[in-house]
Amino acid sequence: MSYDFLETILFALLTIGIVGGAVGVVFLNRITGAALLMAFTFLCNAGMFVLLGAETIAAFQVLIYVGAITVLILYGVMFTPQQHRPYALFFQKQTPWAALFVAPIAIFVALFAFSFRDSAHPTPRGGDLVPLATSVFKDFAFPFEVASVLLLAAMIGAIVLVKRDEDE
Amino acid sequence: MIESVAPGQIDLGLIRYVWLIPALPLAAFLINGLFGRRWLKHATGWIASGAMVAAAALAVGVFLDVLRGNEHTTVTLYRWIGVGEFKIDVAALVDPLSSVMLLVVTVVGSLIFIFANGYMAHDHGFPRFFTWFSLFAFAMLLLVMADNYLLMFVGWEGVGLCSYLLIGFWFEKPAPQHAANKAFWMNRIGDWGYTIGMVTTFLVFGSMTFTEVFEKVGIATQANLVLICIAFFVGAAGKSAQLPLYSWLPDAMEGPTPVSALIHAATMVTAGVYLVARSTPLFVAAGPSLQVVGVIGAVTAIFAATIALVQFDIKRVMAYSTVSQLGYMFLALGVGAPIAAIFHLATHAFFKALLFLGSGSVIHAVGDEQDMRKMGGLRRKLPVTYWTMLIAGGALAALPPLAGFWSKDEILSAAFLSGHTALWAVGIVTAILTAFYVTRAMWMTFHGEPRDHHLYDHAHESPAIMTLPLVLLAVGSAALGLAIGFPPDQGFIHSFLKPAVEAPGVAEPAPELATILALSAASVVAGLVGIVVGISMYVRHRPDPAAVTRAAGPLYRLLVNKYYVDELYDRKFVEATRAFFGVLWAFDVHVIDGIANGIGRLAAAGGGGARRLQTGVVGNYALTVVVGLLVVLVAYGGYAAGVFKR
Amino acid sequence: MTIPVGAFIAVSSILFFLGVTGVLVRRNAVVILMCVELMLNAANLALVAFSRRAGSVDERGSVFVVFVFVIAAAEVAVGLAIVLAAYRNRPTVDVDEVHAMKG
Repeated sequence: MSYDFLETILFALLTIGIVGGAVGVVFLNRITGAALLMAFTFLCNAGMFVLLGAETIAAFQVLIYVGAITVLILYGVMFTPQQHRPYALFFQKQTPWAALFVAPIAIFVALFAFSFRDSAHPTPRGGDLVPLATSVFKDFAFPFEVASVLLLAAMIGAIVLVKRDEDE
Repeated sequence: MIESVAPGQIDLGLIRYVWLIPALPLAAFLINGLFGRRWLKHATGWIASGAMVAAAALAVGVFLDVLRGNEHTTVTLYRWIGVGEFKIDVAALVDPLSSVMLLVVTVVGSLIFIFANGYMAHDHGFPRFFTWFSLFAFAMLLLVMADNYLLMFVGWEGVGLCSYLLIGFWFEKPAPQHAANKAFWMNRIGDWGYTIGMVTTFLVFGSMTFTEVFEKVGIATQANLVLICIAFFVGAAGKSAQLPLYSWLPDAMEGPTPVSALIHAATMVTAGVYLVARSTPLFVAAGPSLQVVGVIGAVTAIFAATIALVQFDIKRVMAYSTVSQLGYMFLALGVGAPIAAIFHLATHAFFKALLFLGSGSVIHAVGDEQDMRKMGGLRRKLPVTYWTMLIAGGALAALPPLAGFWSKDEILSAAFLSGHTALWAVGIVTAILTAFYVTRAMWMTFHGEPRDHHLYDHAHESPAIMTLPLVLLAVGSAALGLAIGFPPDQGFIHSFLKPAVEAPGVAEPAPELATILALSAASVVAGLVGIVVGISMYVRHRPDPAAVTRAAGPLYRLLVNKYYVDELYDRKFVEATRAFFGVLWAFDVHVIDGIANGIGRLAAAGGGGARRLQTGVVGNYALTVVVGLLVVLVAYGGYAAGVFKR
Repeated sequence: MTIPVGAFIAVSSILFFLGVTGVLVRRNAVVILMCVELMLNAANLALVAFSRRAGSVDERGSVFVVFVFVIAAAEVAVGLAIVLAAYRNRPTVDVDEVHAMKG
């Protein structure tokens, strides 16, 4: 029995999740709600990765995005309370212009995207870790080290930016 | 190094050092200019005068060496310009004509320099005076020595510049400023003519060096030659104050008297005469040009003499007299007697310089008063000045045996004998007028009762440093004519100068003795008539000058106002030029500045407009990124669809 | 797998453009950062999808995704630090009100 239809259903559900979450992030007025919907989007994205056979990537996605970045965002939300204001004022003054320019690009790209008709070819289960690791530590060892330096710099930079001036 | 090229083969002697003659005043100029104001002060006068005296001694030496037989020597310093066909050397042509000019400039110049030491002694600009005076001497000597038109032009411009500087010497006052400007402007108009002549000479003959041009006179067309000669004559008219470029010379009397004596009597104004004399081969070959020169010379002579009749400023009388006598020299050139012109140039240098210096002595004595109506009876108080000026006045009136008689008589004879009877008549009438106005000036200044007793009481004779040059110049005015110009047409100067100014194809008239005597008698009679009328009017008041003035009425007013020439020039030329300048100025302010300012305003406006992109709102910048993305996608799509051809 | 690669790309592009819209439209700086994260996720999805096209799996896509993770994390950290520092200056995170760099 072929369970291919399950893939399609799963794909449809994950798509709804991603798009719905993103729409919520953009248009919701409660900011904590927006943050949690963003986390939901990340999770659905992880599901997409699994569907494509990239489980390691999915694991990283959950770890980093849902785990760390969402928490960071929530911290940010917590430290920047805003006064209540009407919904219309959630949007920038340039909104009409933005819509004008983004709409054509979006339509164009979406149409372009549908021109890729060949099927996706997922890796076998559990088979994506070894090639990934080999590639990272053999061919891309130098960028890997640079990335760690970048993280260090970002960490220090963030600390310096947020440091209060000492009055001693 | 001085390297000499000598077609005349006899031992050169001092001619080799001829470049020292202008070098000495140049050195004096530099020393006085650099060190005069702070350190040397009155020593500048000694330095400048010493340089001139040394130059005069050298000039005498060079003259003697030329006399010994070196008729034509070129002493080259270095090649100045060598561009293809156009070659100009800094070189001196030492021949009889230039050696005579060197003598005149240095000897008369030295005496005037010495006089100026006394005259300018109380002036606080003393060092500046001798700086410019020395520079002038250098430029004039360069002019006279040059062997080509371009180098001569350097000296020509230099004397023009120094004339401006010295006329406007007392620049704190407005009148000298205007006079200096006027002199420079009119000179410049003449220079324009000189430049055209010079450049055309090069275009026609391929060279500007005198010897080369005169050898090739035959290759030029009549039209070319006439153009060149008329152009050069325009330059000469500007420099030597002939009609219509003469009115700067009377105004130039605003300068100190030694300046009037040296520049505007003896040397600079004679540069035009020298130019035409030097270019004799060109002028003779271009027939009509000589006529023009002669006619303008004669008309200028009589014109200026009529104005001199009624002037009250003693220096103005002498200035118009100079214009008139220069007219005589051009008259001589015009009738084909360049030797007579140079002869008169030399004698005139002596007696006119003396007249000016004597006037300076008088002015100095009466406390800087120049109006003769306030003088009178000064002969008792200023004996040396009186007697020397009397000799000079006699020379000007052409009384034998003084110098002026021999040279002026020769000019008039040449005019008559070459068939220009009309010009001769003009010359005779002018001689009468000349004698008259000189008598008038002398009488008003030195004779009769003093009209202003205050001035008279304070008058005193000048110190020796001023009277000694007067005496020496008087000796020259008296004896020079006899010494070098007797007998007429066969004297020393005639044989000496002939090789320098001879031109092929000029017929020498060979008159009989009776004709010569008759002509001389006519000249003498003319002079005596003028003097007698003058004495009769002023001593015996028959007729009374005041009555004549009233009777002449409008004619008198015409003469006193100098024929309204200055007013005419002012209205026609000066105002037109000012209007033109106004147009140019408006163009400069509105168009050129407008463009410059407009570009600035454009940049500012552009910046102001572009500035509005910087809203400071971060969201706008993000939107700009997206717009850029849109552009990139459109371009990519177009490229992929083949819209943009490779 | 019956799902064409194009479908994943379409989803990725929708997610991306929703993120762009959010960046351009929302006033709250923290929300803008959230939308930037959405864009990065879209990029990750596209990368992984392209690396699994028919034929072979090109693991360079996955490697790139790893680096995108790193960059995204660093960027969020620093971005939030900036927002907090600005908030300390003036108690607002409204991007329309921060125009001291105008002109």
